[in-house]
Amino acid sequence: MIYAENLRKEFTKIVKEPGLKGSFKALFHPHKEIVVAADNISFHVPKGEVLGFIGPNGAGKSTVIKMLTGILTPTRGQCWINGKIPQNDRKNYVREIGVVFGQRTQLWWDLPLLETYSVLKEIYEVSDKKYRERMSFLNEVLELDDFIHSPVRTLSLGQRMRADIAASMLHSPKVLFLDEPTIGLDVVVKDNIRRAIMKINQEEHTTVILTTHDISDIELLCDRIVMIDKGKNVYDGSLRKLKQNYGQMRELSFETDTSEHLTPEKFYKGLNLSGEDLTVKNDKNIFNVRFNSEAIPVGDMLNYTLSITKVKDISVKDADIEEIIRRLYKEGADEIE
Amino acid sequence: MKLNKLKRQYIPFMRAGLQTMIAYRMNFLGFVIGGLVYCFVMYYLWKAVFTSSGGATFMGFSMTDMVIYLFLSNVTGQLTFSSASNDIGEEIKDGSISMRLIKPVNTDLSYLATELGCSLMKLIVFALPVIVGLEVYRFCVFGMVEFQPINFLLYLLSILFAYLISFRVNLCFGFVAFYVKNLWGIGILKNSIINFLSGALIPLAFMPEWLKMILEYMPFASMSYTPVMIYMGKYDVNEMIFRLIMQLVWVMITYALSRIIWIGAVKKLSVQGG
Repeated sequence: MIYAENLRKEFTKIVKEPGLKGSFKALFHPHKEIVVAADNISFHVPKGEVLGFIGPNGAGKSTVIKMLTGILTPTRGQCWINGKIPQNDRKNYVREIGVVFGQRTQLWWDLPLLETYSVLKEIYEVSDKKYRERMSFLNEVLELDDFIHSPVRTLSLGQRMRADIAASMLHSPKVLFLDEPTIGLDVVVKDNIRRAIMKINQEEHTTVILTTHDISDIELLCDRIVMIDKGKNVYDGSLRKLKQNYGQMRELSFETDTSEHLTPEKFYKGLNLSGEDLTVKNDKNIFNVRFNSEAIPVGDMLNYTLSITKVKDISVKDADIEEIIRRLYKEGADEIE
Repeated sequence: MKLNKLKRQYIPFMRAGLQTMIAYRMNFLGFVIGGLVYCFVMYYLWKAVFTSSGGATFMGFSMTDMVIYLFLSNVTGQLTFSSASNDIGEEIKDGSISMRLIKPVNTDLSYLATELGCSLMKLIVFALPVIVGLEVYRFCVFGMVEFQPINFLLYLLSILFAYLISFRVNLCFGFVAFYVKNLWGIGILKNSIINFLSGALIPLAFMPEWLKMILEYMPFASMSYTPVMIYMGKYDVNEMIFRLIMQLVWVMITYALSRIIWIGAVKKLSVQGG
């Protein structure tokens, strides 16, 4: 369905020295520098899969999406989507895809929202019947009814994003590219949007590529994730595997009686663990113990804690995907340094 | 069939252009009043020139001709005005050109259709009333109806050509934004060059013979001077046909040029931000 092969994109950047003098210098003798936004990115997405495409800010996610959608031409490498090379036959290619860039809008800024949809209907040649069905489906999942007659410029961010998502789905695309569709939204709207993505994926086997910084988006929607950092592939695999490989860390949080005197050192010494496998932090009588559940099983950890102190309250946190990703990001950064 | 599809797909763009224009009513009103104020300022300026020259005509133009010329070239300028270079420059600068590229439409046709919508609006609300006003003025001066329907129709045709040239020239210019990212400075330069070379500022007839010869063959004259001259009946039949053909040739040349630049530019596109 989607093949990306050794995609590379370079940009030329004019480097400016600071200050007014630097600006003048750059005006006459621009110092150019090549920035590699994406390097050697390869992956494959089968039909009907929801792929989470993640990475820290500036990792090159958007650049890759722009190459896949045919907006940018790769410096090297190629991609095929539905058997087409986006750059070669843009007009026919984009007919089969839907795109949302969370930070931009494809809606007609000054017109009532409904107008945008009727324009899109003509552009994508959606039949009247199909259009009616589609609109009622989108209305139902994304709750557009309240603001469908308002000019787009008066919509709130959440309304606009829902409207944008609906616009990308109107023509029943085979592939959906969603670049940060939940950015800056509240929980209810996020939930709306996730439901729409899930529904369209289940009912029409739409392939979805989703970039996000929201971990729950990934946990709820994605079958697989591809992670890139500094323009390079860092991880490609299922979320479960990622959790297995990196997710043995657990966090135990408990509250002791104030009268008692307990220090983190007691844990390090008593368990004979430290560094990567165990970190203990305390804020007065609240203790946070992070440990590797392969080095010490959760049960043992609990027993030990209960044996050395009197515990008022206790909670164990599961492997936190956010934490895993933070670690992966860090490892990626270390590799390069 | 194909034409029908074309119509269905691009008419929405046209309608959107029209509606966008109405959405900002004060803006539109300001634009109409501003245009008229400019015309009157120019009128008093030229009146002073005529008075001080002493003669009834100045370089083959009577004062009545001059009035018609001033107002008509302003109207023509507004109708053939293309903000394509601004729009596309702006879209490249802020990266929203991406949103246009992900639609299965022809990029330049979508700009064209949106603008035609604006121009249509200007024609109805601004140009037609001014032209009626001019004819009333001519009637008052000469005591008879001077209006020539044939000239008016050819004027409309010539304006369409003029608009297409203006659009393409602006589009070529807008594509420069793919390379320089911010067009504002060069935009000012472009506008003043076009204003001067197209005869919008001073009729080309007032220029030295050699300069007039060169300018009349350049695309800029086709953008405003030719339609105005046709309306005013300054050309005989042969010359009129010649001028129209020349306009058509420029339409084709600028079209080809803009296509070539577009194909090169889109490869260089680097969308900024986001």
